[in-house]
Amino acid sequence: MVVGAGAAGTAAAIEAARAGVQVTLVDENPIGASMMALDVPQFFGRRAIDPLPARDEMLERVAAANSALAEAEEAGVEVQLGTSVWGAFRNSDTSRVLDGPQLGLADAERSWMVKYDRLIVAAGARDLAMSFPGSGMAGVMGANGAHALMRRYRTLTSRRMVVLGSGDLGLNTAAMAQDSGVEVAAVVDVSPSVRGDEVLMSRLRATGVELCMSHTVKEAVGSAGEIESVVLVEIDDCQPVAGTEKVIAADAVCLAIGLVPNVELLGLLGCDLAFASERGGWAPVHDDRMRTSVDAVFVAGDAAGFHDGMVLDAEIARNQGRLAGLAAAESLGAIDRDETLARRSELQAAAVDATSADGHSAWQRWHRSLVNAGGMNVFACPCEEVTRAEIIGLQPPRYLGLGSEQASRRSLRTQARNNPVNADQVKRLTRAGMGHCQGRLCREQVSLLLAEESGADIADIPVMSYRPPVRPLPLRVMWPHDEPEQVRSEWPKWFSPTHRVLG
Amino acid sequence: MDSADVVVIGAGVSGLSSAYRLAKAGRDVVVVDKGIVGGEASGRNGGMVSERVDEPALIPLAVEATRTWETLADELGYPTEFVQQGRLQVAVTEEEMGALHSERDNALRHGLHAEMVDPPEIRDMIPGITERTLGGLFFSKGGHANTQLAVQAFAWALQDLGGRLYQNTAVTGFQVVGDRVTAVETTAGPIAADMVVAAAGPQTGLMAGLVGVHIPVAPARVEILATAPIEPLTSIALVGNGLYGHQAVRGNLIFGGGAHEWADVDLTTTPGKPNTPLIRSIARRLAELLPEVADVPVIRSWAGVVEQAPDYMPIIDILDSPSNYVVVTASAHGFGISPATGKVVSDLVLYGETNIDIGGLGLGRFANVSPNWRHQRGWIPAPNRS
Ligand SMILES: Cc1cc2nc3c(=O)[nH]c(=O)nc-3n(C[C@H](O)[C@H](O)[C@H](O)COP(=O)(O)OP(=O)(O)OC[C@H]3O[C@@H](n4cnc5c(N)ncnc54)[C@H](O)[C@@H]3O)c2cc1C
Ligand SMILES: Cc1cc2nc3c(=O)[nH]c(=O)nc-3n(C[C@H](O)[C@H](O)[C@H](O)COP(=O)(O)OP(=O)(O)OC[C@H]3O[C@@H](n4cnc5c(N)ncnc54)[C@H](O)[C@@H]3O)c2cc1C
Repeated sequence: MVVGAGAAGTAAAIEAARAGVQVTLVDENPIGASMMALDVPQFFGRRAIDPLPARDEMLERVAAANSALAEAEEAGVEVQLGTSVWGAFRNSDTSRVLDGPQLGLADAERSWMVKYDRLIVAAGARDLAMSFPGSGMAGVMGANGAHALMRRYRTLTSRRMVVLGSGDLGLNTAAMAQDSGVEVAAVVDVSPSVRGDEVLMSRLRATGVELCMSHTVKEAVGSAGEIESVVLVEIDDCQPVAGTEKVIAADAVCLAIGLVPNVELLGLLGCDLAFASERGGWAPVHDDRMRTSVDAVFVAGDAAGFHDGMVLDAEIARNQGRLAGLAAAESLGAIDRDETLARRSELQAAAVDATSADGHSAWQRWHRSLVNAGGMNVFACPCEEVTRAEIIGLQPPRYLGLGSEQASRRSLRTQARNNPVNADQVKRLTRAGMGHCQGRLCREQVSLLLAEESGADIADIPVMSYRPPVRPLPLRVMWPHDEPEQVRSEWPKWFSPTHRVLG
Repeated sequence: MDSADVVVIGAGVSGLSSAYRLAKAGRDVVVVDKGIVGGEASGRNGGMVSERVDEPALIPLAVEATRTWETLADELGYPTEFVQQGRLQVAVTEEEMGALHSERDNALRHGLHAEMVDPPEIRDMIPGITERTLGGLFFSKGGHANTQLAVQAFAWALQDLGGRLYQNTAVTGFQVVGDRVTAVETTAGPIAADMVVAAAGPQTGLMAGLVGVHIPVAPARVEILATAPIEPLTSIALVGNGLYGHQAVRGNLIFGGGAHEWADVDLTTTPGKPNTPLIRSIARRLAELLPEVADVPVIRSWAGVVEQAPDYMPIIDILDSPSNYVVVTASAHGFGISPATGKVVSDLVLYGETNIDIGGLGLGRFANVSPNWRHQRGWIPAPNRS
C-alpha cells in the first residue's frame, strides 16, 4: 500500500510494481467541497470556485496534474483517487485483536479496511499556519493549499496575492501564482534579505513584485469575512517600528513560510518521530533505505522531512520514493540481492541532498514578529477560538463564562514549575487543538508559543498526539458495512456482570 | 529526605480528590505521578456521573458523589463543566426493556429518584433519537462533567492549599520497617511518609506487589470517540444501543462503548493506548441511536486503560500490613464517584473509618480469589501476534 500519489508516492509505487510487487496507490484528491471548507487537509483559505466542477472533472484534473500516474497504471499499480486513509492500525502490547496491520480507507460515501504487507507513507506535507488579526477571513491560505488550487484543481479564485515567506517555497509559490494568472503584489519576509533562489528572485522583481524584507503582517483587513488588504509593518529585531505601516490591496494572503511533514499516520503506527529544524519540525526517523522505526513501514518525500529545496526539485522526493519502493520490494523477497544492491547504489548516487539548514529559526522569527505586531488577543487556534493569551494563561474555555479568581491566577508559568510544558495538557485545558481541523492550523503555533513563553526548546515539547480518524469522517461514512456479525451480537455492556444489562 | 504526612501515588481523579480532601484537613500532602495530571483514564473517560443502581454496593458512594458534584466547581475554584440534567437509559430491545424495569424497582428500593419514560417523552428529551426506542429510565440526578477540567481542578485546588504535585515522577518501591511504610521510593528520590494512598489505577496490583500484598485487578483498554461540535441537542447523559455518552457543553458528541481488551501494564511506564477499527462500530451505533446526526464528522477517537476487580467493583481499604497503606481503585467507575472517593479515603487516612457505607468495597471479599484468577477467568491479554 502506498499512501499519497504525489511525486514520491507515485515513484515508489512504480518502483515496487516493476519489481513484481502488487501495489495499490491511494490519494485523497480531489478533496470534496465540505472538507475544503474546513481547511482539511490543506489550508485552502476558502478560495476555490463555488460550486466546484463536477467530481469527474475534478478527478480528471487531478490525474492530469501528475503525468506519472499513467505510468504507474501501466506498471500494474492499482490507483485509487478520491480515497483518503483515515486510520492505520497494528497490534501492539495493549492491542492484539487484529489479524494483521491495516489501514482505514474512505471515499465520500463509505469506509473500509485494507490489510497490507508493506506500507509506504508518501503523504506529503501540510501548510504551516500562523495567525494574525484578520487571518480567519476567507483568502488567507497556505502554500500547499494554493498549489493544489492552482495546479491540481485549477479552481483558485484569487486575483491579487501577497506571499509571506521568501524562501524557495515562497518564491515558487509567487512564480506559480503568476503563471496561473494571479497578480503577485508582494513577497514579504521578516528576514533582512530574500532567503531563496536568486534567479527566481530577480525574475519576480523584474515583473514588478515588491519584495518587502524586514516586514511582518500587522493585520488583514476586509469586509463580510473576505480579505481586501493587508497591513504590513517594518520590523527591527522582530519588533514593529511604529509609523512604517503600509497597506497592500489583495484578495489573498498565502502563508509560504514552511511546510510540515504529514506524520499523522506514522504517529498512529508508533513510528519514532524526531524534531529536526532542517526537515520541517517533527519528522519520522528513517534510514537511508527510507525504513522507519516500525517494521514494514517506509516513508518518502515531503512526509519524510520537508525543506525548501524539495520545492525546487521534485526529483528529491521521487528518488526517495524509488528507494522506499525498492526497499519494500526487497523486504518482500520480490527482487534478488544483487539486483537490489545495484539499483540502490544507482539511486543513492543520484540522490540530491539540498537540505536548507535551520528552517525552524525562520518560523520562530516569523512567529515572534506576528505576536509583537498582532498582540496576544489573536486566535492561535481558529477552530476553537482560543487566543494566544488564553493559551499561555491556561484559561478555561470562554463558553464557560467568566473564570474564577483562582483560575485567572493560573498560567503556563505556574504550571511549568511542576513539569515540563506539555502541549497535550495545554490542549486539554484550553481546547487549543481540539477543533474540526484536527490541529492542522494550530499545532506549530501553539508549540512555538509554549516554547517562547516557557523558555523551553521546542524540540523538548512533546508533539501533540495523533489519533484516528486523521480526516474528519462523517458517522455514516465511518459506519462499518463490513462489520462482522460477531461484533454486532457480542457487543458487551460497560464492565458489568452479564446478569446486569445496562452499564 | 523529602517528606510528607501523606504521599498519594497517582494524579488521577481518585488520588487527587483524596489529596485535596487531606490538604483541606490540614495534612501536608505530596502527589506523585509517573505522567501528568489526568494523563491516564481520569482524563480520557466518558465523563458520566450516575447513581449506579446496577451496582447496589456503590449507591452510597454515588449518591454522596452526585451531591458533591453540584457545588464542586465553586468549592475548588475551578470549572468542572458539571451538567446535571439527568441521565437517560433507553432500551431498544425487549430484553433491555425488562432490565430497565427491574433497575427502576431497584432504584426505588434504594430511595433514588428514577422514573420510566415512554418513547414520545424520550423524543422530547433527545430530539431526533431513533424511533426504535421502546422506553427509557430517567435518573434526574445524573449528569456529566468535563473530565480533563475536573481532574485539573482537583490538582489546582490541592496546590492552592499548599499540597505538592510531582508530575513525571514514578514510584519504584517502598521502604518498610516492621508493619509500616516509612518512605516511598521514586525516580526523584525517596519521600518519607506517615501514610501512603495508592491510587495507581491499572498499576494497583503491581504497586501492592511491592509490599507483598496480592490485590486482584486486571487492566483493560477501552475506546471512545468525539464528533465535531454541533448545535445544542441535549444536556442529558445518554445510555443506549450499547453506548454511553453525552453532548459536551462545547457541542461535541462524546460516546464510547464496545469490547474492552485485557492488557498487561508496566509499573513505571505509560501503557500504549491505541484505537482499533472498533471505533467504526461505535460510530455506527451512534448513528443508529441519533440518526439525524449521521452526517456529523468524527474528529477524534482515543482509548484509556482502566482496571477491574473480579466483581467489577471498586476497592477502598487499608491494608493489614503495612498498616499505613490505603488502596483505592475504581474498576472503571471512578470518574463519577470521585468526589466521594476523596472523602472516604481522607476519612480512612485521618480516622481509620468513614461514615459513608463502603462495606462492599473492602479487600476481605477477595480472600478466596486465587493468585491465578486472571488466567482462570481469561482476563489476560491475547497472545501477541504483532
Ligand atoms: C509551492 C509549490 C510549488 C511546487 N512546484 C512544483 C513544480 O513546479 N514541479 C513539481 O514537480 N513539483 C512541484 N511541487 C511539488 C513538490 O515540490 C514535490 O512534489 C514534493 O516535494 C514531493 O511531493 P510528495 O510526493 O512528497 O508529496 P505531495 O506531492 O504533497 O503528495 C502527497 C499526497 O498524499 C496525499 N495524502 C496525504 N495524506 C493522505 C491520506 N491520509 N490519505 C490519502 N491521501 C493522502 C496528499 O493529498 C497528496 O496528494 C511544488 C510544491 C509547492 C508547495
Ligand atoms: C474510555 C473510558 C471511558 C470511561 N467512562 C467513564 C464514565 O463515563 N464515568 C465514570 O465514572 N468512569 C468512566 N471511566 C472510568 C474512569 O475513567 C476511571 O475509573 C477513573 O478515571 C479512575 O481514576 P483513578 O485516579 O483511580 O485512576 P487513573 O486515572 O488510572 O490514575 C492512576 C494514576 O496512577 C499513576 N501511576 C500508576 N503507576 C504509577 C507509578 N509507578 N508511579 C507514579 N504514578 C503511577 C498513573 O500514571 C495514573 O495517572 C472510563 C474510562 C475510560 C478509559
